[in-house]
Amino acid sequence: MRLARLVGLACAAGAILTMTGCGTIGVKPWQRDLLAKKEMALDANPLDAAIDDHVYFSKEAASGGRGFGGGGCGCN
Amino acid sequence: MQLKKPPTPLRLGLMAASCALLGSPAAKAQTAADGEQPLLIDAGVLYYKEDQGRVQTIEPIVRFKKDYGDEHVLGVTLAFDSLTGGSPNGAIPSRKAQTFATPSGTSLQPVSGVPQTYTTPSGQVVAALAKVTLYSVQPALLPLDPNFHDRRIAADVSWAQPVATDTHASIAGHLSNELDFDSAAFNAALSHDFNGKNTTVSAGVNGELDAVKPIGGAPVGGSDYTQLLKNGSKSKDVVGGLLGVTQVMSRRWVAQLNYTYDKSNGYLTDPYKIVSVVDGTGTETGYRFESRPDKRTRQSLYFGNKAYVGGEVLDISYRRSKDDWGIKSDTVDGRLRIDLGNDIYLEPHARWYHQGAADFYHLYLNQSDALPAYLSADPRLADFKATTFGAKFGVGFGGNTELSLRIEQYQQKPTDTTSSLAALQGLNLNPGLKTVIVQLGWRYDY
Amino acid sequence: MASPCEVLLETEDLDRARSAGRAAADEAWRIEAKFSRYRRDSVVSTINASNGRPVEVDAETAALIDFAAHCHRLSDGRFDITSGVLRRCWRFDGSDRLPTAAAIDAVRPFIGFDKIGWDAPVITVPTGMELDFGGIGKEYAVDRALAAVTASSSESALVNFGGDLAATRAPAGGPWRVGIERPGTEREAALLLELEQGALATSGDTHRYLLRAGVRYGHIMDVHTGWPVVGAPRSVTVAAGACIEAGMLATFAMLSGAGAEAFLDQQGVRYWCLRG
Repeated sequence: MRLARLVGLACAAGAILTMTGCGTIGVKPWQRDLLAKKEMALDANPLDAAIDDHVYFSKEAASGGRGFGGGGCGCN
Repeated sequence: MQLKKPPTPLRLGLMAASCALLGSPAAKAQTAADGEQPLLIDAGVLYYKEDQGRVQTIEPIVRFKKDYGDEHVLGVTLAFDSLTGGSPNGAIPSRKAQTFATPSGTSLQPVSGVPQTYTTPSGQVVAALAKVTLYSVQPALLPLDPNFHDRRIAADVSWAQPVATDTHASIAGHLSNELDFDSAAFNAALSHDFNGKNTTVSAGVNGELDAVKPIGGAPVGGSDYTQLLKNGSKSKDVVGGLLGVTQVMSRRWVAQLNYTYDKSNGYLTDPYKIVSVVDGTGTETGYRFESRPDKRTRQSLYFGNKAYVGGEVLDISYRRSKDDWGIKSDTVDGRLRIDLGNDIYLEPHARWYHQGAADFYHLYLNQSDALPAYLSADPRLADFKATTFGAKFGVGFGGNTELSLRIEQYQQKPTDTTSSLAALQGLNLNPGLKTVIVQLGWRYDY
Repeated sequence: MASPCEVLLETEDLDRARSAGRAAADEAWRIEAKFSRYRRDSVVSTINASNGRPVEVDAETAALIDFAAHCHRLSDGRFDITSGVLRRCWRFDGSDRLPTAAAIDAVRPFIGFDKIGWDAPVITVPTGMELDFGGIGKEYAVDRALAAVTASSSESALVNFGGDLAATRAPAGGPWRVGIERPGTEREAALLLELEQGALATSGDTHRYLLRAGVRYGHIMDVHTGWPVVGAPRSVTVAAGACIEAGMLATFAMLSGAGAEAFLDQQGVRYWCLRG
């Protein structure tokens, strides 16, 4: 279990380092037309996300992941 | 930020000269975004209803966001939540009718035949519960506590601003109050852009302090339910951290990878939940209050994506979570925003979730087994698969307003639902859950 | 023009988009042909080869010379379209070869807009002097190209000639999103700004400079000394109503050297300065 966890964490760290090390991946400023659309933001629907997080937090054992936990609730 | 000034003689001279050259007066330049933005209001009402007379909630929520210019952003969220309906108390269905006692409700009656006080192993003297409401559950039905009701108010405030070139910081605070639970939390994060703003690395910490004030007091964990032994209010705290990287992968695709870690400490048990104890034939002989460890460490890895495919926007993410209670989970969540033209869109949504049971989860206990140190029959800690299907429909007006309606169905299907014991044959011991979620939204946007 | 040029037009009519692009391109090439120093048949070359004889110019050239004259006065003589002769001793090729004081002194007598005889529409350029519209030609082309695109209809349009741009009004979806690249710096950071309407122009030394003993010499010249302006920013981007106005403000800022930001603050315009 511990070994699997270490391997998993190492993979995640490796993924992070690989992504940050990719100096050639990305776009030039004039290629941001699609990325600039509001719908393309990673947090395009914060209200829906907050409601979903609350529903799943109160019904499931896992929670969050996308950002911070906003705060507790007695529902779990 | 630059203040508006009356034009200098030089500027006027230049404007006049340009005008003369081009033969027409030129308009002023107007740039947005660096300056102050109008207020953004995002409001919604959630209606959530589980089947079989279970939990029902209505939650209005409103979010304000104000950009004061130069990326100085204030956010305020207010939510109000009202819960009614029955919630499973952790006991399994039985062939016979069952009676339970709850400290909630309006028809509290004095309890007879149980001690008024109790001395804990450490020598502390605590008062037993004096008044309860009794409720009965029909044979073969999943026991639900019908007196479960709660109301919650929550407020969040956040502030974000740049602190150095390509570096942003944010802090946020949260306060919430329920009839039996108070929470205060904060989080702070720092992020840095580089690689031509194609890569953003973030790191953050969060902390939470909760006061758990169960109605009637927190029961002594693992104790006999009929003794109704209570020992007051409790607390818990959570400390966590987040490391994330966001990367523009191409003109059409941006991805995010987050690793979160948190450690909870304190009273983590559900004070209202019990576990059925049955004999060798499966007939129930009693109940025990549940008892969870007082520490929990969780980790999760989240991989999210936004991609522009075929003229529509796809949001697809995967999350893997595990904790030291033995619970492992996988989540896949996808949304496709389809532009129907005229500022109308349809966004179907599908989510698939699977979790493994906690190490100390038991559907029920056998009387002949030794009492475990930790035990819970809470369906939320069981092994189950859950799916969500639904869609959101949105219509925009006037360039700055949007109305939306989201309708979804959420279902939980537990794995462990039957027993081989004689008296429990043919009973579905953990029937799962079916929920309808309806959300009406109003967004006032630039 | 040696930089990528584009026209952005909000329309669903492909023919309209094509004809707008052609109109902008035609206008840009026309202006380049007319005012380019590098073409023998341009108006500017004709004037520079006149050897002191009076030359009668057309209305458009007269308007440009008037504009240059205004700017010369507004800048207290620092903006000067006769300063092109300094090219003879300053070659901005990224090397460390600086001209000698003697070479610069030899050229100084041939600089000075006040020595030009200008009595519209007749211009008399003394022998050895020359006119150079390099400092205003590109921005002027942007404004005229935008006018050509919008002459026949009123859609929202933006003309961008390698970073000098002008826009009529923003399209329905929101403001024009303009990314300002900063090549050649360690940060490679790009600015993203949202333009509702108006113009942007950039003046800078990113491509044409000399580097000696760690000191960078840009190509914006101080006509009084014959040397590049001391303490100028690496680049200045200014927003104004028209591209020539923005371009001239950016040039004036560069000419103010270390005082570039103070100058632009005083004018109350939106600007972005990059210092190296």
